[in-house]
Amino acid sequence: MKKLKIGMVCPYGWDSPGGVQTHIRELTKHLQDEGHQVSVFAPVSDEERVNESWLVNAGKPISIPVNGSVARVLFGPIASSRVKQWITQGDFDLLHLHEPAIPSLSLLACSAATGPMVGTFHVSSPKQKAIYAIGPILEPIVEKLTARIAVSESARQTLKDHFDTDAVVIPNGIESSQYSSAQPTIHWRNPHTLGFIGRFEESRKGLQILLDALPIIARFVPDVRLLVAGPGDGDELIKKLDIGLRNRIVFLGFLSEQEKASFLKSINIYVAPNTGGESFGIILTEALSAGTPVVGSDISAFKAVLDNGEAGLLFKNGDSADLAKVLIGLLRDEELQQSLSSKGKLSSQKYDWQVVADQILSVYEMAMAGNNKVGLISDSRFWNRR
Amino acid sequence: MNLTQVLIVLIVLFVGWYLTFSASRLDRLHHRVETSWATLDSLLQKRAAIAMEIVRESSLDPATSFLISTSAHAAREAVISDRSEAESVLSESLKMVKEIAYDESLELPSELLIELSDITNKIKLAINLHLEAVNAARNVRRKIIIRIFRLAGKAPLPVRYAFEDDVL
Repeated sequence: MKKLKIGMVCPYGWDSPGGVQTHIRELTKHLQDEGHQVSVFAPVSDEERVNESWLVNAGKPISIPVNGSVARVLFGPIASSRVKQWITQGDFDLLHLHEPAIPSLSLLACSAATGPMVGTFHVSSPKQKAIYAIGPILEPIVEKLTARIAVSESARQTLKDHFDTDAVVIPNGIESSQYSSAQPTIHWRNPHTLGFIGRFEESRKGLQILLDALPIIARFVPDVRLLVAGPGDGDELIKKLDIGLRNRIVFLGFLSEQEKASFLKSINIYVAPNTGGESFGIILTEALSAGTPVVGSDISAFKAVLDNGEAGLLFKNGDSADLAKVLIGLLRDEELQQSLSSKGKLSSQKYDWQVVADQILSVYEMAMAGNNKVGLISDSRFWNRR
Repeated sequence: MNLTQVLIVLIVLFVGWYLTFSASRLDRLHHRVETSWATLDSLLQKRAAIAMEIVRESSLDPATSFLISTSAHAAREAVISDRSEAESVLSESLKMVKEIAYDESLELPSELLIELSDITNKIKLAINLHLEAVNAARNVRRKIIIRIFRLAGKAPLPVRYAFEDDVL
């Protein structure tokens, strides 16, 4: 395959943490390793925290509430003219727009450009009323994408509900070698240790369900411990806990990528009690590739990642008694832990970037079948033609 | 000029803009149907060629070879209306190759098999993209305003082929 010039658009602030940003960063790295040229266009709020040479700053993002959390996006006439400038200067073979239905840079790029365009839809949410109002305006724009990718079956369903179009499902990628070869940290290692990672203050992450299950588990497995990692105030939460539970739980705070890999390798079981709003569950695939057995709630995204209970165990969403039952069974059965570990490793291989980036490249190839380059729609209007 | 006249002018301008907008949108969709079909078509042709080559290079039993080569030939020669059926037959017979691929004694050319599975994946993608383009074009053509003003012109209504990508 010939080497491509790819323009990638990130709708959210590059220097704020998020799944979409991570996805773009890692995909870009992989494409560059294969010899393609990639330029990423993204809003940046603090220029000093950005050191990638291939990143083009689009301006400072503004914060708007989307879907219960705050999104840092960028739009407006100045952003729009910067998008056009970037497209003209980049002379790209293909544009890859992430989340093109969110009011941000990707949408602007999609409406300004013509030629091969691929869009990736990350979000999964129930049908929103607002879409009835803006749907007819967005539809002709989103329709311009030559190919659509959804990161999960539920993201695809969201797209179908909102725009009446379909997409190819290509999962998020992970650097699986990073997890499989990680070294465990000794003082995190203990015979019966459970692990949880996430913004535990958000109720949809479901830590409370796990905390409710813990006293029941402790009755059957006396030395059970729980390690909780993620941004948030652990002290605040500990104060609210039952005294008998306090010494079983350790809050580790925010972990770096490397610490996270070591964390996943050290614990016995990774627990994902999320109650909903998850599109994919990348942390589950990371735990799987570290060879750690995973227990997750039976929401559709997790069911898909855990191969319907083949690669990891499922419990009834929101039911802490059921979670306790599943965890006790697994903690006491080392053979089951072993077999889940090897099955999980095997099934996580399909999420490795090596595989995922190849799939994305074949979508690029399809999208470019027409053999024309990316240009601006305004250049093809007849009064602008030369 | 009074208010009504201004309003009428504005409405006429808006309708004019909307019609050109819809026409160019439809044109873009038709174009996409054509390019995605061209991609799919060339991939299917390539698959038939690989099937032929597999038969030539390996020591399959005569019945299987006959089945694959006739279905590949039929897929290549099929007229557009029989195309999807012919391709499905080829998919079915290629499935047999996949099933016997583990049998070492047959000396199946492994490079060709890899190429075949590669192209099968691409065909799945291409089918997906093509059907999507066809659906989008058909949806837009259903709109009242496009039918009244005949914005589709003489372009034929894109046909939804019944490709069964699950047999691939």
